[in-house]
Amino acid sequence: MGFHPAEFLTAAMALIELVDLSKSYDGETVLDEFTLSIKENEFITLLGPSGCGKTTTLRIVGGFTRPDTGKVIFEGKDITDVAPNKRHVNTVFQKYALFPNMNIAENIAFGLRISGKSKDYINDKIKYALKLVNLSGYEKRSVDSLSGGQQQRIAIARAIVNEPQVLLLDEPLGALDLKMRQEMQYELIRLKRELGITFLYVTHDQEEALTMSDKVVVMNQGYIQQMGTPEQIYNEPENAFVADFIGDSNIIDGIMLEDRVVKICDHIFPCIDEGFGRNTPVDVVIRPEDILIGKPGEGIMDGMVTSNVFIGVHYEMCIEAGGFEWLAQNTRSYPVGTKVSIGVTPENIQIMNKPQSEDEEAISFDD
Amino acid sequence: MTNSVMKKLFSAPFVAFILCGTLVPMGVIAWYGLTDRSGAFTVENVAAMFGGDHAKALGLSLALSLISTAICLLLAFPLGLLLRDSGLGKKGFMVFLFILPMWMNFLLRTMAWQVLLEKGGILNTILGAFGLPALEMINTPTAVVLGMVYDYLPFMVLPIYNALSKIDSSLIEAAYDLGASKSVVLRRILIPLSVPGIVSGVTMVFVPSLTTFAISNMLGGGKVNLIGNIIEQEFTSSSNWNLGSGLSLVMMIFIVISMALIEKFDRNGEGNLI
Amino acid sequence: MKKKRNDLKKSRASRLGRGLYLGLIILFLYLPIGTLMVLSFNSGKSMNAWQGFSLRWYQEMFQNQEILDALGNTLSIALWSATLATIIGVLACIGLNTMSEKRRSFFMGLNNIPLLNADIVTGISIMMSFLLFGISLSYGAVLFAHITFCIPYVILSVMPKFRQLQNLTFEAALDLGASPVYAFFRIVLPDIMPGVMSGFLLAFTMSVDDFVITHFTRGAGINTLSTLIYSQVKVGIRPTLYALSTVIFLTVLAVLVASNLLSSAGKRRSGPSGGSGMTPKKMIAMALILALGLGFTAKFTLSRGVSAASGSRGELYVYNFGDYIDPDLVSMFEEETGYTVIMDYFDTNEEMYPVIRNHTAQYDVICASDYMINKMISEDLLDTIDFRYVPNIENLQENVRGFVEEFDPGMQHCVPHTWGTYGILYNTAMVDEAPDSWSDLWDEKWFQQIMMPNSIRECDMIAAKILGYSMNTAQESELKEITDLLIEQKPLVYSYANDNARDLMVGGSAAMAVIASGDVLYAQEENEDLDFVVPAEGTEVWTDCWAIPAGAANKEGAQEWINFMLRGDVARMNFEYLTYAIPNTEILDLTDNPILNPSEEILARCETLKNLGAETDDMYSRYWKIFKSS
Repeated sequence: MGFHPAEFLTAAMALIELVDLSKSYDGETVLDEFTLSIKENEFITLLGPSGCGKTTTLRIVGGFTRPDTGKVIFEGKDITDVAPNKRHVNTVFQKYALFPNMNIAENIAFGLRISGKSKDYINDKIKYALKLVNLSGYEKRSVDSLSGGQQQRIAIARAIVNEPQVLLLDEPLGALDLKMRQEMQYELIRLKRELGITFLYVTHDQEEALTMSDKVVVMNQGYIQQMGTPEQIYNEPENAFVADFIGDSNIIDGIMLEDRVVKICDHIFPCIDEGFGRNTPVDVVIRPEDILIGKPGEGIMDGMVTSNVFIGVHYEMCIEAGGFEWLAQNTRSYPVGTKVSIGVTPENIQIMNKPQSEDEEAISFDD
Repeated sequence: MTNSVMKKLFSAPFVAFILCGTLVPMGVIAWYGLTDRSGAFTVENVAAMFGGDHAKALGLSLALSLISTAICLLLAFPLGLLLRDSGLGKKGFMVFLFILPMWMNFLLRTMAWQVLLEKGGILNTILGAFGLPALEMINTPTAVVLGMVYDYLPFMVLPIYNALSKIDSSLIEAAYDLGASKSVVLRRILIPLSVPGIVSGVTMVFVPSLTTFAISNMLGGGKVNLIGNIIEQEFTSSSNWNLGSGLSLVMMIFIVISMALIEKFDRNGEGNLI
Repeated sequence: MKKKRNDLKKSRASRLGRGLYLGLIILFLYLPIGTLMVLSFNSGKSMNAWQGFSLRWYQEMFQNQEILDALGNTLSIALWSATLATIIGVLACIGLNTMSEKRRSFFMGLNNIPLLNADIVTGISIMMSFLLFGISLSYGAVLFAHITFCIPYVILSVMPKFRQLQNLTFEAALDLGASPVYAFFRIVLPDIMPGVMSGFLLAFTMSVDDFVITHFTRGAGINTLSTLIYSQVKVGIRPTLYALSTVIFLTVLAVLVASNLLSSAGKRRSGPSGGSGMTPKKMIAMALILALGLGFTAKFTLSRGVSAASGSRGELYVYNFGDYIDPDLVSMFEEETGYTVIMDYFDTNEEMYPVIRNHTAQYDVICASDYMINKMISEDLLDTIDFRYVPNIENLQENVRGFVEEFDPGMQHCVPHTWGTYGILYNTAMVDEAPDSWSDLWDEKWFQQIMMPNSIRECDMIAAKILGYSMNTAQESELKEITDLLIEQKPLVYSYANDNARDLMVGGSAAMAVIASGDVLYAQEENEDLDFVVPAEGTEVWTDCWAIPAGAANKEGAQEWINFMLRGDVARMNFEYLTYAIPNTEILDLTDNPILNPSEEILARCETLKNLGAETDDMYSRYWKIFKSS
């Protein structure tokens, strides 16, 4: 690879910039003035429910879909109209898309042959890639003979041998079972570290997003809802959509009486948020694992356990208190009918502005 | 009687039809083909295919049917691609449009070409009106090829379209993604993956073209003598059943070949017309 | 930005290219069909000139009992064979699925044979089997053959559905207390129904579309549309067939469009989760086909029932050259005698002969040419006629009786139907100097403008006359010369045609054609530029006669038929329809002209065809194949 002075610049600059991308199908807008910049060497995940525009965004970057308006800038160059086979990005497809008429080695060699690499180079690369995905010795196998997880890893191998600057992954783990999915998550993190390239990852699975990403972009209805590190997204959701979409949470109507004081279900809760004004109606988000359960009178509100299910490490309980069903998780079990109290430490209360109308629930990130 | 034995009995009528409708008649053909008029064993009737005028007719049949199969393939493959890519709403209509003529009796369709190509026919009248030289195609092998292509094209379009439309579009995107150009995608993805459809389309055009006698009679003006005409004449006018059967036995070689091809390329029945 | 515009231009160009490609193929597919549709409304017979709008051909088609019968046969055979094949096929799938993998694939392999076998081989093999085991060809034989080739389509469509089904749902139903039969109809059948229906539709389509297998296995009186069309196309231009094409095409279009519309309407109502979208469409298509088929078979059997009631004296099977009798005479005969006439057609004597010799089909009365009558008499294939029941024989022209003596001494086995000579019909608009010799047909001036007969003996006769040989030569060396001469002429010949030569001459497709004298008057009526000459070398005098095959089931009816044909008014009608010379003294006012009744001087230079015996026939056939393949 040639050494180019521009690489110094781009290392600091964004590698890919998506500017004002819009796309609609049959009058239905799937992407609305979407803007995002992706830095080099980043593991960035687009997260959202189906139809939120995340796959369309990925396909625009890959070159398979042409945006109605907007531009894709790659290393400072406009590549919006460049065909997919001329882009320095490679894609790992949802259902792997391995060529059934070729064996594993031929699949991996496909891109290299096209770019006219020597036989030795190709053979080395195949060996290297198979080793990287822990499938050494599978060269001569047919696609049909592999399990879903193995096919997935071959799809990744096939993409990375071309040394793309960006690897696009479109729900690559969607078709795998739970255990395989978890294994592959670690595998992907390892690969990312070893290859040192940019990953643009699309998923609807929040766990995947939170586990692997450097940066998570939560999308809904063609807009970015929130962008940040996994911790930020989880702990400080910026609106009810993000809070609801990321993990389980209690989203309750509240009134911000003044800075650092919120009234929920006629009880006063201390919190750490400021700047909402006085007596402002707000949405309050409290994660189930943040609800402290004690004896009646010990916490802020009293209530009664109405259901209790053991879900592995902890128990998930519903507690009826102040006219609201609270979802709580605790390692200790409180049988149904037990009278309890609940409380929350101030830093675990997340305050969000209420949207003015339905439409505004999907606020563009730019706003 | 166990349940499973009873269920097996359900296939008895099918087996009876295979026996009476296929195997016994094949045996009868073999019997006639390998005996002479007096009933003595001979291979002369089979060997006759490779001598003189029969070999000539077989050669002509092979040539014309290969040409028409190739033309059908060349027309149908791009058509299959276009149909595959056409918009979802339009797709059903387009496919419908291309196989609709199949439902019209093929003799009527062949007759239509007679009307078009005849020396005093419509095409020549139109050409004449523009002062263009007349088309001298009727009663030539070219007209017979045209008739074959016209009659059998839908049998090529349908299996190829079926095979092409079963190719996951993410495979094609994956190929582009890996840097493939259009021609590489065609050569290494689309064509190899539609081989079952191509094979079944080829046999469905080749076998009937090879053995036709109606098309050559109608568009060949009695001048294009195919092996199908010879076999038909042996049964209808010359009434030498032994010779006709012997020639038919040779024709079955081509059927065995196409069966073997289908077995090789289309194990899962993907390219079926159905 | 500039690049973008280029790309746009490129994609617009490629879209244009695609559109052009699709358009050309659609033109290729629909131009012939469209042409037939337009011509079906043409009031005249012309293939290239519009002579005014008319529904004449539609009227003729719907009044043509042959076409209606063939349509009824086609639909009833298709309906029955598809239904029976579907039942047998579904049962077979149940049975096959309980078999071991190995045995199942063995049977599936056998199942593929009729699919891949050439139709001609399937047809011939079934025909020969029937005849070998002494079963005569009939409606039943065609139905059997159709079921045989329909079953594979049903099995191939149903089997995959069974494989998807697995045994679980069936077993679950049994577990819940259902009886196996109940479980099959409630659980299994609904699941495999799409496959069953597409199998049925495919079988139906294949049966309707079949020509080759029906061609070989059909017996007396059974014509499907395909075989009827084939025999009619060989005869000449038939605008009724254009009308028929239009009706078939529009019916198919209507059925398909209706089933598409109805099913999409049904889908909208049932919501997008309607499952496999093909099902309602197929169901409706099937219902329409059933309704149409049942309607037609009902109408068909009903009309048959009526005519069978009038034909209480049974059926008379007639085997005749194509278009060789005024069709009105058939119904006249039926009315007068109470027989139901079932008539089949052939193109040449050689096509007819094996049918009679091998008893492929049983006929009561046949039409055959002189030499063939001679041959059949020598092989005891013809019965004698009892002239006590043929009193109208007194109307026969005396000079023709003389010719009959040559091939049927004493005239015991046949009665002439028509007679005539062969000569050259030429178009005076293209040919300045009237031809007077057969060798004018070898003149390179007429490259691709000559039409020759498509039968062994007539072609050979012409060459023999040029070479000065007898047209009945048994010398191989002479036959070889004759064949070489014909091969030499081949490049000049536009087409080898029998009956349709006349229509092609009328249409101006060729300058000269060898034609029977009887065709001349008709041709001159349609095109006044046409003229006729009997070449100086002499020609063949031919006589086509009615005869009764040995063992005819209805000899009484056959003799009534022959007597009927000899009646003056019948001869008149026949002559007016055929314009062939009918040797009947009652109509001499019409036929006494040099074309139809040549002078004794010309007749003296003529020969009749003789039967040459099996060995010489084989030799003729061998040289004919050499000539045809050259």
